[in-house]
Amino acid sequence: MISEELKKSLAERVAGAITPREATVDVMKELQAHYGWLTDEAVGEAASLLGLSPLQVEELATFYEMIYRRPVGKKVIHVCDSISCWCADCDGIIAHLKKRLGVELGGTTADGMYTLLPCACMGRCGDSPAMSVGGTPYGHLTPHLVDEILEKERRA
Amino acid sequence: MPKLIIDDIPVEVPPGTSVLEAARSVGITIPHFCYHPALAIAAACRLCAVKLLDGPVKGIQMSCSLPAQDGMVVSTTDPDALKMRSLVIEWLMLNHPHDCPVCDEGGECLLQDFTIAGGHSRRRYVGKKRTFQNQYLGERIHHEMNRCIECYRCVRFYQEYAGGTDFGVTGSAGRVYFGRFAEGALESPFSGNLVDICPTGVFTDKTGRFRARYWDYEFAPAVCQHCSVGCNTSPQNFQRELIKIVARRNDQVNGWFICDRGRFDKEYLNSPQRPRDPEIGGAPGEYRLALEAAANRISEFCLQNGAASLAFVGSGRLSLEGCLVLAELARVVGAPFCYFTESAAAQGSLAAVRLLNEQNAARVRDIEKAECIALFELDLMEEGAMLSLAIRKASLAGAQVFRVGGAREGEKHPLPFRYQEVATVDEVPFEGGSKGVVICGAGGKSPELLSYLASSGAKLVMLQPGPNAFGAALVSLERKGATLSDLVESGQIKAVVCFEADLPPWLLERVEVLACADWKRGGLTEKASVLLPTTTWVESNGTSINYEGRAQRFLRSRPAGLPLKGLDPKYYSSETEAVALHPPRVHRNYIPGGAEREAWRVMADLMLELGGEPVNEPLTGRWGKLRDLDPEGEGVRIYDLVSAQDLS
Repeated sequence: MISEELKKSLAERVAGAITPREATVDVMKELQAHYGWLTDEAVGEAASLLGLSPLQVEELATFYEMIYRRPVGKKVIHVCDSISCWCADCDGIIAHLKKRLGVELGGTTADGMYTLLPCACMGRCGDSPAMSVGGTPYGHLTPHLVDEILEKERRA
Repeated sequence: MPKLIIDDIPVEVPPGTSVLEAARSVGITIPHFCYHPALAIAAACRLCAVKLLDGPVKGIQMSCSLPAQDGMVVSTTDPDALKMRSLVIEWLMLNHPHDCPVCDEGGECLLQDFTIAGGHSRRRYVGKKRTFQNQYLGERIHHEMNRCIECYRCVRFYQEYAGGTDFGVTGSAGRVYFGRFAEGALESPFSGNLVDICPTGVFTDKTGRFRARYWDYEFAPAVCQHCSVGCNTSPQNFQRELIKIVARRNDQVNGWFICDRGRFDKEYLNSPQRPRDPEIGGAPGEYRLALEAAANRISEFCLQNGAASLAFVGSGRLSLEGCLVLAELARVVGAPFCYFTESAAAQGSLAAVRLLNEQNAARVRDIEKAECIALFELDLMEEGAMLSLAIRKASLAGAQVFRVGGAREGEKHPLPFRYQEVATVDEVPFEGGSKGVVICGAGGKSPELLSYLASSGAKLVMLQPGPNAFGAALVSLERKGATLSDLVESGQIKAVVCFEADLPPWLLERVEVLACADWKRGGLTEKASVLLPTTTWVESNGTSINYEGRAQRFLRSRPAGLPLKGLDPKYYSSETEAVALHPPRVHRNYIPGGAEREAWRVMADLMLELGGEPVNEPLTGRWGKLRDLDPEGEGVRIYDLVSAQDLS
C-alpha cells in the first residue's frame, strides 16, 4: 500500500509526461524507494497509475538493473565486471567483496545491510575498477579501499 | 522505382522495398527470422546479411532493414556474407536445445530450414546452455522458452499488431524472456497466431500436439466458415482428423493472420456426434435408400398437400453451389425455397446485398487507410474479429474511431484500439465521407436503417449472419427465394426439406420435416424423417461469398469419413471373429462413416430421384465465370458479375 500523498505525486508526474509510458522509470524508482524493492504489489500499483498492464511494467522493470524485483539489502553494491574494469582486475575486487561480505554475487549479507550485484559498465572506465554502493560511485578500488568504503557506508 | 542488381539479376522494385523483399521478388530467399512482412522491422536476428559490392552503401548489411536504392549491387552469395550468416546462425543456435525429435514444430520449422540454409551443421559450443521456466499459457498454446532465438516476432505481433497487453518480453541480454506477468491463459483473441509466427517451437498448438508431422498432413486451401469475413486458412488433416488450422495469406481479406475462433474452434469437425450414416425414420440405412425414401416422402406429400405447402430451406452455411442447386431442386418440385428462416434477419441481409456495390463496399485496405470509422451497434469481436486488426492499423495511423450505441451484451473481448462512444451515427464527423467507413452487422437491421447508414457517403462494411449469407442473399434475390417465417405465418407451408439450415424452435414446432441434410445434429435432424449427412467444409469443394461480396473457393482437404483415431473396432473386425487388436484386420473397400456427400450433390441426387435433370456443374448462368476461381488467389468481388440492383 502506498500513501495517498505518494499516489497523488506520482499521478502528477505521470500526467506531466507526454506519454504515460515514459514516466514508468520514475514511478518505479519512487515505489522502490517506498517498498525497498519493486514488489509485485508495486508493479500492480505502477501499472494502474500508468494505464499499462502489469506485464508492460514488468517489461521495463526487468530491463533496468537498478530496479530490483527481489528483496535487497539496505544498500546495493553494483560492482562493474565489464571490459575496462576487468582489465583493472575487477575479479580480485569481486573476490574480495564476496569474502568480506560472506555472500556470492546476487546475495544479501546476513545483517541485511548489503546486496552484491555485478553490473556491466557504469561509464566510469577511467576510474576502473569501479563500483557503486547505495547509489554513490567509487573508483580506483583496492581491497583496502573497499574495506574502508564498506565501513563508511555501513555507518552512514 | 529503384533499380538494383541482386546476384547478377537486375531488379526494379517500388520505392521503400527492402533488399530482402527485392531479392524475394526474383526468387532469392535470404535466410531471416525476425523479419516478417506484416510486422515492423526489428533487425534483431542479424541473419539476413548480404554484401553490397557497389552503390550508395557498401559492405555487409542487413537486407531486411535496408531499402533498395538505385545502383546497388547486392551479393547474397559473397563469401563474407555467407561466413557472417553461418556465424550468426551458429550463435543463435548456442542455447537451442536441439530437441527437434520431441518438438511439434519439427518439419515446419523456420529455424531448421535456415540453420541448414545458413551453413551451420556442426556444433562447436560446449558450454552450459541457458534455460528457462516455461509458463502455463492456457489450454491452447504450449510454451517452451528454451527454444527461443529472441527474434521478437511474437511480442511485436501480440502487442503492436494485435493490441494485446498481457504478453510481452521481459529481462535483458541473455535473460530475455517472452511470456506473461504471471501464468495464465493468453487474453488476446488472436493469440493463436503466435504459433504461426514463431520461427521455431516456442509456441506450439496445444490442441494438436504430437499427432503428426508436417509431411503427414493433408492440406488444401480453405476459407474459414465461422463468420462472414471469410479468412483464408489451411487445415492440416491426418488420417481424416483435423489436427490444426493455420492461417493462409490473403492480403485482401485476412493478411497473414486468423482469429482464435477460426483456429481453435474445430472440434465439431472431428466430433463423434456428427451424423455419418443416413437415417430413415431413425434407423441407419444406405444413402441410395435414404434418397429414395426422401424423394418418396416429398412426392407423397406434394400429392396430398400440393407442392406449394412444402418449402426447401437452406441457409448462409450452404456454399454458393448449394444455394444455386437448392433453387433448381425446388423448381423441379415446384415448391418455394428459402435461405433465411426469419424475416428480420432476411431483411437485413438482403438489404445489405442490395445496397453494396463495387464503389461503396469497403475493402480491407479501405478500413486500414480510413480516417474516420464508425462501429454501429455490433459486437465486432464476435461478428468479424479480424476486421478489428484492420481498424487498429487505421487507428494507429491516426484515424478516429467511433462506437455508436455502446457495447453489446455479452461481449467477451475488448476492442484492441482506442475509440470514442457516441449516441448516434449523426455525431460521427465523416467530412465528405471519402475516407470514412461504417461497420455494422446486417442481420436483423431494418432496410431503412441500413440505407440511412449508406447515405453517409462512407464506405460500408455490413457483416452477414453466416459465412456465405451474402451468397445466399444474392441467389435469393436472383431466383426469387422466400423467407420461411413469412411462408409459415401465412399458413401456406406445412412441411420443409432442409439443407444445412437452422430453424428457431417456434418455426420447428409448426412444420413437418420430411428430410434434413446436415453435418451437425440439432432439433432439425432429430425431427427429420430422413436424415442425409453432408460433408463439412473440410471435406467439400465450394465457393463462399464474404461480407464485401468477395467470392472465394475452398477445396476438400480430406476424404469424408470417421477419423482413424478412436475408430470403433467394429469397422476393422470380422463379423465372425473377435475384434483383432493387431493387424491383419478385415479390409474394406469403403471408408467407415464416409457416406456423407456435399450438400449440393445431395440436392442433385434428390433431383434425379424426383425426375429432374442431372446436375454436373452447379455454377451455371452468370455464376459460370466463378468456375475457374483460383483457390490460392485473392478471390474476386462479384459486382461486375452480378449486380444486386439488376436482380431486385
